[in-house]
Amino acid sequence: MKFKPGIESLETDNVNVSHSSPVREFVTLLLGAFGILALIYAVSGLLIDKAVDWIDPKTEKALFSDLYNAFDDAESQTDASVTLQRLVDDLQQCLDPGYEITVNLTEDSSPNAFALPGGKMVVTQGLLDLVSSENGLAFVLAHELAHFANRDHLRGIGRGIVLAAMSAAVLGSDSGLDAIFAPASLAGQARFSRSRESQADQRALMALNCHYAHIGGATEFFEGLKRRGDAGDTAGTISHYFASHPDAQSRVDALSALGGDSGFAQGALRELPEALQ
Amino acid sequence: MYQLAVFCVLLALGYGFGRFAETRHYQSITRREKLFAELPTLSLRSAGEDEEAVFKTQFVSANVVISVDYFKRVAAALRGFFGGNVQAYESLVDRARREAVLRVKESCPGASHILNVRIETSSIHKGRGNGVGSVEVFAYGTAVYNAPD
Repeated sequence: MKFKPGIESLETDNVNVSHSSPVREFVTLLLGAFGILALIYAVSGLLIDKAVDWIDPKTEKALFSDLYNAFDDAESQTDASVTLQRLVDDLQQCLDPGYEITVNLTEDSSPNAFALPGGKMVVTQGLLDLVSSENGLAFVLAHELAHFANRDHLRGIGRGIVLAAMSAAVLGSDSGLDAIFAPASLAGQARFSRSRESQADQRALMALNCHYAHIGGATEFFEGLKRRGDAGDTAGTISHYFASHPDAQSRVDALSALGGDSGFAQGALRELPEALQ
Repeated sequence: MYQLAVFCVLLALGYGFGRFAETRHYQSITRREKLFAELPTLSLRSAGEDEEAVFKTQFVSANVVISVDYFKRVAAALRGFFGGNVQAYESLVDRARREAVLRVKESCPGASHILNVRIETSSIHKGRGNGVGSVEVFAYGTAVYNAPD
């Protein structure tokens, strides 16, 4: 047998590899995957909203009651928590969330308040330290009441579960893809969350006006945050898109604008009850 | 945020280094394939040799392990989502196979041809879990040396 090597074809026609651009392939696939996931997320969001309307507060309380066995209300009742509870009960005459709300005070020093499923509201000591008047505190409490009334806590949890399930089941945690999808999904969730926060702010403002007949102190909490520099410095940077709450300054602006439009008056602030100082 | 930045940096590094290594490797492969073009590798068990003329025969083997870069890994994972040609891995397999055959050739200078050449993939990467994968190719055959005239 005579061998004749065909060396000229070695460089030019390699049939074993694709010659299209790998970057283009990558970008196409990435956009496709994003598109599909965004669609799933949007559809699940709508389904969650439907489901939330369907779950009444009573069922919700029954579903989540096991969560709170760790809290023992009777033992943790102090003057402060009783006073807080009374303030929340009073506010409910202006903003009825359709729940029986129980308030818990935690020692946490970061100023915050949460609406948890089943009608549990958690207020941190840091929040009490930050606000200087009862009106300022009442606005934050009314804001959480508005979350209950709007069922935002359920919507948030529902979307969180969808996101977690999507990144775990569809992508797998070992592919390296979760690194890119996780921040993107956070941004999506944050945008949703920010719009809910703004709605809650509006309802809280109305409740404040109803309770005190003026809206003085509404921006106190956000002004306090700004002074601390916790939330005000994110404006204009990319991290703004990942923030679950609008930044403090834009909330102050929005509240002032809304207060002006609705013709709400400013008035004298009440001092914080002694038990909460 | 931080996670995304790390991811993008890794992706860019993976692409840059991977591209550089691949281009250089292909240059080396084509250069050496030309160099060894006169040494045929056959899958036949015999090429009709004149037994008198054969001076010696020898088993020759070579293996190659080439790692996947980060960019290729992510691209392949994305591909795994939709299905289809995993372009990112094609060049890896191609490089590993050609490199293994070249090493077989390089291991028997002076042979007239190599018979019964087989190419196999082994799998030292299996079971390493989340680590970056690699392509492993093992090539072997029988080198035939003709008696000096």
